[in-house]
Amino acid sequence: MLSPSFHNDAAPPVNDPGHVVIVGAGIVGISAAFFLSRRGVQVTVLEAAAPAAGASGASDGAVSVASKRPGLMMQLGLAGIATYRALASGGVLAGEFRERPTFIVASNAAEAEVLAEHAAALAGAGVTVRLLARAEITGLLPMVSEEVVAVARVEGEGHAIGYRVVERLARAGRFTLRRSAPVDGFVRDKTGRVTAVSTGQGGLIAADAVLVAAGNGSERLLGLSGALIPRKGQLLLTERAAGRLGAPAGPLMSSRYLLSKGAAKGGPADAARSFGLVIDPLATGQFLIGGTREDGVTNTHNDLAAVRHILREAVTLMPDLARLRLLRAFSGIRTATVDRLPIVGAVPGAENLFVATGFEGDGICLGPFMGELVHRLICGEPAAVDINALSPARFTPRAA
Amino acid sequence: MTEWKSMDIDLLVVGGGPAGMAAAVEARQAGLQVLLVDQRERLGGAIYCQPDPGCAPVAMSARHRARWQALSREFAASGAAVEFHTSFAGLDSEGLALLERRASAGEAGRVLPVRARAVVLAVGAVERIAPLPGWELPGVMSAGGLQMMMKRRGAVPVGRTLLAGSGPLLLAVASQMVALGQPPVAIIERARPFGQPAELLKLLATPGYLREALAILARLHKARVPVLHATQLTSIRLAAGGGLEVECRGQGDERRFSVDRVALHDGIRPNDFGLPGGAATGGPVLSRAGDCREALGAVAAIEDGKRAGREAARMLGLKLPAMSLQPVKRERRAQAVLARLFSPALTTPPADLPDETVICRCENRTAGDLRGLLAGHDGLSAREVKLNGRFAMGSCQGRFCADATVDFLRRCGAGAEALEASHLTGRRWPVRPVGIATLLAEGGAAADPASVIRIEEE
Ligand SMILES: Cc1cc2nc3c(=O)[nH]c(=O)nc-3n(C[C@H](O)[C@H](O)[C@H](O)COP(=O)(O)OP(=O)(O)OC[C@H]3O[C@@H](n4cnc5c(N)ncnc54)[C@H](O)[C@@H]3O)c2cc1C
Ligand SMILES: Cc1cc2nc3c(=O)[nH]c(=O)nc-3n(C[C@H](O)[C@H](O)[C@H](O)COP(=O)(O)OP(=O)(O)OC[C@H]3O[C@@H](n4cnc5c(N)ncnc54)[C@H](O)[C@@H]3O)c2cc1C
Repeated sequence: MLSPSFHNDAAPPVNDPGHVVIVGAGIVGISAAFFLSRRGVQVTVLEAAAPAAGASGASDGAVSVASKRPGLMMQLGLAGIATYRALASGGVLAGEFRERPTFIVASNAAEAEVLAEHAAALAGAGVTVRLLARAEITGLLPMVSEEVVAVARVEGEGHAIGYRVVERLARAGRFTLRRSAPVDGFVRDKTGRVTAVSTGQGGLIAADAVLVAAGNGSERLLGLSGALIPRKGQLLLTERAAGRLGAPAGPLMSSRYLLSKGAAKGGPADAARSFGLVIDPLATGQFLIGGTREDGVTNTHNDLAAVRHILREAVTLMPDLARLRLLRAFSGIRTATVDRLPIVGAVPGAENLFVATGFEGDGICLGPFMGELVHRLICGEPAAVDINALSPARFTPRAA
Repeated sequence: MTEWKSMDIDLLVVGGGPAGMAAAVEARQAGLQVLLVDQRERLGGAIYCQPDPGCAPVAMSARHRARWQALSREFAASGAAVEFHTSFAGLDSEGLALLERRASAGEAGRVLPVRARAVVLAVGAVERIAPLPGWELPGVMSAGGLQMMMKRRGAVPVGRTLLAGSGPLLLAVASQMVALGQPPVAIIERARPFGQPAELLKLLATPGYLREALAILARLHKARVPVLHATQLTSIRLAAGGGLEVECRGQGDERRFSVDRVALHDGIRPNDFGLPGGAATGGPVLSRAGDCREALGAVAAIEDGKRAGREAARMLGLKLPAMSLQPVKRERRAQAVLARLFSPALTTPPADLPDETVICRCENRTAGDLRGLLAGHDGLSAREVKLNGRFAMGSCQGRFCADATVDFLRRCGAGAEALEASHLTGRRWPVRPVGIATLLAEGGAAADPASVIRIEEE
């Protein structure tokens, strides 16, 4: 499925795409810029605010297949992890990818059922996953509450911090990055080809190919009306526990998280606001605790009701957390899609216009891989994974 | 007496210093129900900080004493409700003000959500301290912190103390130390305040300041406290036999001091870190008063507090005339004179700080780290400085490093001219770290009688 050497491919493409303009300096846009520029392609990234100003700088960093929906998303998740591993051992992301297991926990019989089914799906996708017996739970995870009835330990997972990945790739790549440069439209020729992008400052920048990786800003640029849903997530960061509490070897993810995210059967969360608990032990000794899924909400505020809800669940699962202080709360806005699949590929009607967005809560995991993948599309090379199902054509029926 | 079952009030005043107290008095006079909270256990704020039980008060000038007595009398008579040990943790997106009641003997901490129609933030000022090699060592403190200790305990901590930095506060602290029988080893002042006779003359316009200044200088002179002008510290080191070894440089000459304590100070600035700005839609009318709006000193704080209290009543629909801004303007002019007198004759440009100089003490980030971050970037955004550099990210949330970081970036980083400290500190929620157990403790609801706040009604 994946060619083992693709991550180190620095040979110039057979058909040089010319000057590629990338809209958005999130993890997806910057990854694409990195892979293109490594092959000698000329790239300019135009960012409305600053690198990682969107979801990529306000998220957790689970590089994880554990929470993916069975099928294509699990397959992409595995490719995402493989990409991180290659970039970490190849040096570009050395030290930024922390390998660790994920623990999915169930607190009652109904959750245990969801958990067992999801574990089976993971195993089916080739993931090493093991259900822990109660005695093992106490031994491996002494910090979790007695209420936990079942735990699945998922191997081969990892963690990376979105904004740090963005910074490392931006430093390693040889491309132009323009901050505070919002794009407000495209200039097209008669055939529909994009010849330039226009920036908020009134300037035009000539382009031979354009990639829109602008998160929630993509909808307006591409006229994908109704396809994207901004989905706010509130996250909480504790102070350093530094030896005061035992931290698990990897994140504790409630089975309810799978439901909230719609990764497991039993419920795409269609409530306007749902909660899915993940307690993530960071390398700093802090805990990052999430989070909410709030559809259609684009403010990045926090509210006491949500914060208390998340903390109550977190303390129920890991009682010692009550001894720490909450350092800050923040929010990020995911870009979700109505059919719960990302949007990646060439935009119908403009052969040199590409899009990569709609990664909901998975873009840190999938970002570098997707950047690699779209860089191939832009160079006219075959993709490593069949992504026809992700094509923007499903949202732009009127385009010819 | 009314019991407040639900925590709905007209005006919440945060801070029990002169500004907050004056705002509460004024708003009560206009007929509003007022709740004032302070994180500490007594009223008075920074300037009128009251002694701990059993400790003797530090002498105040007659003019300050009279002001404080009048203000505390008015406040006591106003009928404003007061909660101590209670700090403001922020406004949430629903406009709820979160008050953290700290744990005390026998009582667990908890968070009280309060719905106020108006909020006046009067949380005072904080000191600036310019980083220098060794400022993070034990034994180094802020001069204002030392002053608060003296005001609370009525005594100077034992040992040799060096005061250094810039600003009139250094003189005031030294004079209080003399009065308590333990003068400082010396005052190291970067500015040359007597080098500008024309500015000095302008103090005649504010005789109160002038009289206070002369009294302080006379006392320091009598106690023979050395005051070195146009001189600055260059490094602080732990001495082999205990204590601190301090180096300073004047114009041309270098000097060393062996002391037990160094108290640093480089002026004050509003304590506006992480505070909410505009109100959420449907949230309370929000304003700031006193030093946290503009650091202009105690006299201005009282006047500005009155203005804010009156303004809150007006914003809530009461027909009252606006208050004159003249008194605050007069104080602003006086402070401007002081600022010019103490404009440093010397400063180490941040670009010259050695790499190992700590800038962020919480996360131990140094001048070298900041240089590394800047290398190869231009137009670095505040967000990148924070996220990638970890500056202003620690538990003090930028209180101690945001100014210094921005100062450094402005002078060393291309394209950083437009950066402000507030871009680094941003708005925080919570404004300060809050215990998770505290956040989860139910409080403020009618079900919890301990949280009921009593407000006197005439
Ligand atoms: C609370 C939360 C937790 C998460 N946890 C995880 C996790 O554990 N694991 C995981 O894999 N994923 C996680 N995610 C998801 C992940 O953060 C996102 O999927 C990912 O960051 C998306 O990256 P992106 O580059 O597509 O978009 P973004 O990071 O949103 O970047 C888009 C960029 O485009 C810019 N832009 C927009 N419009 C324009 C315009 N017109 N012109 C120029 N620039 C423009 C924006 O300013 C922004 O910088 C989480 C997200 C959230 C919110
Ligand atoms: C260190 C220092 C020393 C000073 N020394 C002098 C001096 O010698 N002479 C002089 O004329 N002026 C001095 N000033 C200035 C003078 O103190 C102020 O002008 C005056 O006290 C300002 O009054 P205020 O009410 O605005 O703030 P303050 O008097 O500072 O009162 C603020 C109050 O808010 C409380 N508070 C802060 N944050 C919160 C929160 N989140 N929740 C609840 N409560 C909170 C504090 O406990 C404090 O009681 C000094 C200032 C500082 C900072």
